[in-house]
Amino acid sequence: MSTATSVIQATDRRELPTWVRTVVALGGTLAATAILVTALGASPIQVAKAIYTGSVGNSFSISQTVITMGILIGTGLAAAIPFSARLWNVGGEGQMTFGAMAAAVLGIVLPETWSAWLLIPIVMVGAMLGGAIFAALPGWLKARFDASEIVTTLMLNFVAVNAAAWIIFDVFPEGFVQKTESIHAAAELPRPIEGWLLDVGIVAAVVAAVVAWFIVRHTRLGFSIRAIGANAQASRLSGIRTEKVTVQTFLLAGAFAGLAGALIVQGRDHALLQDFSANVGFVGIGVALVARLHPVAVIGSAALFAVLRVGSNSLQAGAGLSPVVGEMIIATFVVLLMVTGVIKFRYPEGADAH
Amino acid sequence: MLTEALLIAFFVIGIQLMVPIVLAALGEAVVEKSGVLNVGIEGVMLIGALATAFIGITRQTVLLAIVVAIAAGVVSGIILAALYVRRGTDQIVTGLMFNIFAVGLTGTLHSRYIAGQNGVTLDGISIPGISSIPWIGEIISKQNAMLYVAIVLSAGVWYLLNRTWYGLYARSAGERPMAAESGGLDVRRLRYPAVMIGCALAALGGSALVLSTSGGFVPGMTAGRGFIAMGVVVLAKWRPRWIFFHALGFGMTQGLQFLAAQLTALQVVPKQFWVALPYLVTVAAVVFAPGSRYPAAVGIPYRPAGKTA
Repeated sequence: MSTATSVIQATDRRELPTWVRTVVALGGTLAATAILVTALGASPIQVAKAIYTGSVGNSFSISQTVITMGILIGTGLAAAIPFSARLWNVGGEGQMTFGAMAAAVLGIVLPETWSAWLLIPIVMVGAMLGGAIFAALPGWLKARFDASEIVTTLMLNFVAVNAAAWIIFDVFPEGFVQKTESIHAAAELPRPIEGWLLDVGIVAAVVAAVVAWFIVRHTRLGFSIRAIGANAQASRLSGIRTEKVTVQTFLLAGAFAGLAGALIVQGRDHALLQDFSANVGFVGIGVALVARLHPVAVIGSAALFAVLRVGSNSLQAGAGLSPVVGEMIIATFVVLLMVTGVIKFRYPEGADAH
Repeated sequence: MLTEALLIAFFVIGIQLMVPIVLAALGEAVVEKSGVLNVGIEGVMLIGALATAFIGITRQTVLLAIVVAIAAGVVSGIILAALYVRRGTDQIVTGLMFNIFAVGLTGTLHSRYIAGQNGVTLDGISIPGISSIPWIGEIISKQNAMLYVAIVLSAGVWYLLNRTWYGLYARSAGERPMAAESGGLDVRRLRYPAVMIGCALAALGGSALVLSTSGGFVPGMTAGRGFIAMGVVVLAKWRPRWIFFHALGFGMTQGLQFLAAQLTALQVVPKQFWVALPYLVTVAAVVFAPGSRYPAAVGIPYRPAGKTA
């Protein structure tokens, strides 16, 4: 069974099996982290304990972890799908921010009297549209002008952050707090377990991952995405309209990033907060890679990253370290997975020959 | 009101903001010419900025702060080259992950050792003769040594790429690596120093950012300047002189947000627009850069013939 898409190389049979190399990468990450935190004057055991209790230790932290997992599924899909077509959408951060903005604005301006059955889906779809439209711009610039999507999507992340700041401080400010007014209660995602912060957003995220898998595997668009990922030139020659597919791929990716934004605003924060993201858009790239770009596997890697991410929040109290240590662990793990060849990109045949 | 003093202050700030972008973009040009895309440039700038602030705060010497920042850049370059070039990992993903790592590393070190502290800064240099010229003299004499370092390095990078054997060979590794290898060159060995030079320059850019402001470090203070530098390189078609002038345009665009704070005429749009404008201009730049084309082999790891690693 190969989970790899055509962009990620299948494991060479002569080499060690993938699981062995994954274990090697994981061991390397743990060793590197241990060395690092020791150098920073903390104890690795304490760090491990802090991450454990901080992520799954009690109902509060479990809720946080599952909520973060849902958000990371969204941003993970926003990277996994375009990467499968060799389109480097590194703008998940900005697309998610735009989705969150759309969710906040809709959740505030739509009539308060509407029922939850109406408000929740409208706000969520609005957020997905917001993300999709914001992603369509770099997609179109790529298709029409061949503008490097890496540069354009990275730049648009900063544009989105400033647009959000405008909404937060000038359009719907809430006193002196760095956030917008709260969205209507009827637009909030329900919290099914009494006393838990956990909301139903995770269900939407898991459904999204399955839908993404279906699109990539079983639709015409998905076929085109995989074909372009394998060989853009051959795809074009065989009649696939690569420009159109490029824009559609970005629209799809942006919709999933927008969903992540909706989960943040409707589920977690109930308003648009300044610095609400803490890089989850970028971490989504790591999520997509660890899943080897497989949409359903994104669920699992999002769970792993959510544990690391939320667990790191208690590092300050538990081990006297800044929460951003979690960032380093995630980046190290992804890089080591590439070094050990678990994540290995295929390049078009003869691309380096010229 | 747009007063003379305000306009002069705008140019002073614009040129100061230009310098880090020039340095980073010069570095990126060298890296890309050798056939490697260094998306990790943003992280390297952050590391250079942190190293400068750290030494500036603990040792109070500018020169040592700069030297340590460059050393940190070279070390980053060695790590990145080992991944990009030696191991052949995907350059885009590796660079992005390096950036995430750098955010974590600099954030941790900052909060643990130097949070809220200000270090050493560079003063403006008065050049006799020039500083007495009205307007221009005032703008130039407020600029610190980093401006002149950037000018010298622009010439230096031009010379390296166009007038040395290394520049010629590195460019061939960036355009036609297999042909270069057929000609007896070791492509990977040519790319190594390019990545190290590029990272040293990016770190120096981070250093300039710190030394021209408070001397302290702020998490995420590079704010996409590395990525802007990547856009500048495309717009300038990898030519050092053009890099200098395009970076000036971006520095001035970044300076507009300070002008907007003083000038009611610019306040008809939200102030966030002026902060976002340099990023939008970068997008426009890579879209409309006429006839600009990446070196052919950029982004593709090179595997020497007969080796499978």
